Amino acid sequence: MQLGPTGPATIRGKLGAAACMLLASVAPAVARADPSGAVTQVDGTLLLYGEQSRTKVAEPTVRVTRLQPSGRSLSGQVVLDVMTGATPTGAMPPGVVDSTAALPPDEAPRVQTMTAASGGGGGGGSEHVPGPGDIPLAQFHDTRVALDAEWHEPITNIFGSTLGGYYSREKDYESVGASGKLSLDFLHKLTTLTLGGGVNRDHVFPSGGTPLPLSDGTVLHDERNAKDVTSALVGLSRVITRRWLISVNGSRTYEDGYLTEPYKVVSLIDPATGYTTGQITEGRPSTRQRTDVMTTMVYHFTSDVLHLSHRYYWDDWGVRSNTIDLKLRHDTGDSSFLQPHLRYYNQSQADFFTFGLVQGEPVPTYATSDYRLGPLSTATVGLTYGFHVPEQPGEFTIRAEYILQFGKGHPDTAMGVQQDFDLMPPVNIGSLVAGYSVAF
Amino acid sequence: MKTVRLLTPANALARAAWLAALGALLTGCAATKVKPWDRDLLAQKKMQLVTHPMVNAIDEHIYFSKEGSTGGGDVGGGGCGCN
Amino acid sequence: MAAPTPFPRPADGSFVERGDGCLVGRFKAMASPCEVLVDTDDPHEAALALRTAETEAQRIEAKFSRYRPDNIVHKINHAGGEPVAVDAETAQLLDFAASCYEMSGGLFDITSGALRRAWTFDGGTRVPEPRALRNLLEHIGWDKVRWDGAAIAMPEGMEIDLGGFGKEYAVDRAAALVRAEVPRAILVNFGGDLVASGPKRDGRLWSVGIEDPDHPGTSALYRIEIETGGIATSGDARRFVLWGGKRLGHILNPRTGWPVEGGPRSVTVLASTCLEAGTLATLAQLAGRGARAFLEAQGARYWTV
Repeated sequence: MQLGPTGPATIRGKLGAAACMLLASVAPAVARADPSGAVTQVDGTLLLYGEQSRTKVAEPTVRVTRLQPSGRSLSGQVVLDVMTGATPTGAMPPGVVDSTAALPPDEAPRVQTMTAASGGGGGGGSEHVPGPGDIPLAQFHDTRVALDAEWHEPITNIFGSTLGGYYSREKDYESVGASGKLSLDFLHKLTTLTLGGGVNRDHVFPSGGTPLPLSDGTVLHDERNAKDVTSALVGLSRVITRRWLISVNGSRTYEDGYLTEPYKVVSLIDPATGYTTGQITEGRPSTRQRTDVMTTMVYHFTSDVLHLSHRYYWDDWGVRSNTIDLKLRHDTGDSSFLQPHLRYYNQSQADFFTFGLVQGEPVPTYATSDYRLGPLSTATVGLTYGFHVPEQPGEFTIRAEYILQFGKGHPDTAMGVQQDFDLMPPVNIGSLVAGYSVAF
Repeated sequence: MKTVRLLTPANALARAAWLAALGALLTGCAATKVKPWDRDLLAQKKMQLVTHPMVNAIDEHIYFSKEGSTGGGDVGGGGCGCN
Repeated sequence: MAAPTPFPRPADGSFVERGDGCLVGRFKAMASPCEVLVDTDDPHEAALALRTAETEAQRIEAKFSRYRPDNIVHKINHAGGEPVAVDAETAQLLDFAASCYEMSGGLFDITSGALRRAWTFDGGTRVPEPRALRNLLEHIGWDKVRWDGAAIAMPEGMEIDLGGFGKEYAVDRAAALVRAEVPRAILVNFGGDLVASGPKRDGRLWSVGIEDPDHPGTSALYRIEIETGGIATSGDARRFVLWGGKRLGHILNPRTGWPVEGGPRSVTVLASTCLEAGTLATLAQLAGRGARAFLEAQGARYWTV
């Protein structure tokens, strides 16, 4: 169907297009409503994710949505998140090979704990002893279940409202949340204003007890540490031309409560040699205010569609970041497409981030060696292939991505033998997502 | 000591693009030229801001666990013990 | 946090938990469950109290335990008759032991530790052979020890055992050190021997229960409320032997080698320090049938079962 900019389109053509647009805007990301009744859509995805020598995740998700002709929809989702592998503890490379300082063995029962002390690989054993320049890792495994429900109700044909509820649970973390969104279309539905807010009440109950921050690790038993998260979002999206859509949204999040990573440590080092002499638990502030502004643009070329977005983020812990994300969708046939994807992320470190503390010096109020609050960059390259099986309902997608995370691992403040080590070695990550969507 | 270089190349480009987009958004002069019957392209699923919400949610979760930033999309969803 | 790993925390199983209006640091020392109750909401203060008490308990155990092969007690017990010079702290404990010997007419005797080899207080019915006991008794008796305030010498084959008041002493010492570090009301309890030093922030008293010997570890028979003071209990709740239908406690008469008979099953004494309370309780048990009279004569606050 051609709608040329000069020739007059037929009435029927115009009507058809207007109808398409109306129906599509009423039910975002859901199949076109069949005028004769409700539609059920089922989406399933499976994520297989693996970091080289570190964390591995398998995450299946199923979502079921019931869309009414009125535009009202209700959906429910279940996610299962199975995680294993090893993760950095925050400790620095030891500088010496010390078989009595082997990796902590697999997770312990709650009351009696053990350290990496005497006995080296005793009690279950660890798989490898870190070399002098290796970042110490700790083994873990956990399973998380998350349930999600969302209800969307168009109030009039320019107002839309969405309510959502969320619950997730894993061995040491529980999250309950609710959110709401209002969207308002105006200027002939070419502009949409969205206002949203959400609240979460999370609890953290670390295995073995909650270690006191910046301490030798003495634990407080039976604590359910609370963490409240409140967020608000304002968004404006606008159709610029027939091919071009832009959206800007800003959000602010406020966190209050237990924000420390209970399993992470900060190394103490001997400034003369650079060897680690011990470690203390990390400690973070109990509040965090986060803001971000994200601009997205969608542009339809002759046949390809470009999604380009930039997000600028900052918070009161000193972290600032820029994210650029680019996707180009190229249809390869009636019902299949290829979509390459590029993403680049760069962040500056938190104010209280440190690679390690000097033994004997006074301990600061807050300190963390968690690389995720450090000076890091992430680069992603991926490709999605989507297709329909002929004569069969539903769309399949398969996406393979490679992620490289790297950081500034040679700080000027490195001492002794630490100067020879990469304190934030690059991590190679691969992920595969398989998805299937069908509506009936 | 933290040094944040706000005018790195990626940043400068991004800023320029952002300002251009904001300008287009706020002036809105082009908007009235798009008539309802010109919405053929816009109606397509692939023109949505988020084309595959579930894959998008997976990405948000991955990057939330690996990086220090959040946000940029939506409210809703919840916490996890991964950061 | 998708990483519930064993955290490299102190390997001793110690931890802090919330008690009834206080924070409690728990650890194991001297073969007993130990706790330090601190009247505070600050876990850092509780952790400091825990570490201070635990360090002191471990120090005393290392220094005075008869099971260690490398401390002053081992040296004294293997001196082969030669005098051994001791430091100030050991001297004070030996002086204390000497005065307990006098006060009890020779019944409280730190050289009677060897008798333990003859008895197993495991709730069974085994009793030692008379000849074995006679042999042991020849190596018992503080009167055979030469203690001049600086050095101690005893005939070969004799040994001293400070376990009779070691725990109470450790309680008082630990509490003093904790008080110096943490400006709060505290209660230090090592396996049932405790000392409290108040007053609490809300003015309430520390609440202590006296264990029912028939149901050790579960119910309390009495409740004592104190602000400051030491409490110790001497009794047979866990260590006893059944003989002839009778339940014999573990307090041994160093003259006969047999458990003292006729005493109350359990004696709890309140005094100004845990050491004083523990000694009075032990002396009362050694007095057998005269336990209550002894305690009355001393003017001590006590409870018997």
